[in-house]
Amino acid sequence: MEETRYDKTAGCYRLEVELQAYLEGEDRPFVLAHTCECAFCRVLVEDLEALRAAAQELPLEEPSPAVWPNIRAQLATAGCFAEKTSFWDWLSQLDFLRRPIPVATFACVVVLGCVLTASRNNPEQDLSLSPPASEGGTAVRSMAFIGDSTSLEQVVRELEKSFKAREAFLAPDVKATYENSLDSLDSSIRECSDSLRREPGNSLAHEYLLAAYSQKAEVLSSALEFDEGR
Amino acid sequence: MSLQKTAASKAASETQLVARAQRGDEEAFAALFETHKRRVYSLCLRMTGNTAEAEDLTQEAFLQLFRKISTFRGESAFSTWLHRLAVNVVLMHLRKKGLQQVSLDEVDTSQDEPVKRDYGDHDRRLLGSVDRISLSRAIDDLPPGYRTVFVLHDIEGYEHNEIAEIMNCSVGNSKSQLHKARMRLRDLLRQNEGLMTRGEPVVSDQAPTER
Repeated sequence: MEETRYDKTAGCYRLEVELQAYLEGEDRPFVLAHTCECAFCRVLVEDLEALRAAAQELPLEEPSPAVWPNIRAQLATAGCFAEKTSFWDWLSQLDFLRRPIPVATFACVVVLGCVLTASRNNPEQDLSLSPPASEGGTAVRSMAFIGDSTSLEQVVRELEKSFKAREAFLAPDVKATYENSLDSLDSSIRECSDSLRREPGNSLAHEYLLAAYSQKAEVLSSALEFDEGR
Repeated sequence: MSLQKTAASKAASETQLVARAQRGDEEAFAALFETHKRRVYSLCLRMTGNTAEAEDLTQEAFLQLFRKISTFRGESAFSTWLHRLAVNVVLMHLRKKGLQQVSLDEVDTSQDEPVKRDYGDHDRRLLGSVDRISLSRAIDDLPPGYRTVFVLHDIEGYEHNEIAEIMNCSVGNSKSQLHKARMRLRDLLRQNEGLMTRGEPVVSDQAPTER
């Protein structure tokens, strides 16, 4: 380093040697001692420390808004983005929709569910069909419940027939799993039916019965789908 | 605790963004760019001292990042990976430009010229006068080798062993270059300060930047 100072001491030369290590965080007692007695070296050390602190606090700069569109365009050209698929594309990719039996069964269950929900959510219609607030009215409504579950029962019976026709082709462990599920659902159906026979207006029992039939329909559809997918 | 939670949730959301970007999700790419653009651009700007070059290099760094993102396995922090990639992009650019950036171990006499130390007014400190604009301008005026080490160490926070690996030089050389860079910066700032005090404009021998 070029020096223009006239009164540079041996201590100043030693400080120059040790200064780099001191600024790197090493313990250099001489630097501290010398800066106490030499005003020039003290200013030098303080300046360098101030510089380092100022460098750490420099703010981040913002690139122009044109940068991202440029990057995006190049990535798009290079095919880096996955193509967005529409709902119908996604639907057409679902493999199980190509099998007619499960789809038809599922559609029947959905249609039936919609009919039942609509009729239950429209009490005026029920009331218009039945005498108001009478025991007879309750009886007619419970008959309607039974009618609903009867339709669902028919769908389930049809599915059961298909299942019986195909169960011989199922692997024993798969067959056992399905049979266990079906036994459990049959037991629920029996319980609900008994309750309805005792109390025809028991709406909770009716709901459980419908739910049990729906679940049974789903299990049977699943079994048929499994058989088709083998 | 809340800071830890915030940091943890930030890291988790970044991991999710990276995973989405690896699947080609455009929105995830945009979010990653938005999160890191300022740091990458600032690095490029300080290492080149030119806004147009810095924007080109920012673009190049992110393009490389997104092309390579499927290879990111999360062994280091995503930001560390990105910034290292950006540093390499800038260094590659500077090498192509023929600047003396290839290795600090190469003899570079232009950078080792004596740093003048003005002892005439020993009580005049830089303290308080190191404003951001003057410092940014002085960094731009540093020779490229000094500038790179100063930016990587004192601004970006890299350790000397990392700089040595990046710059393909020894740790001692990195330390020595940093010390010289700081001394040169101090000198430049004092010169500028003296000119400003006398009412003279600060003249740089480099092309003016568009900042």
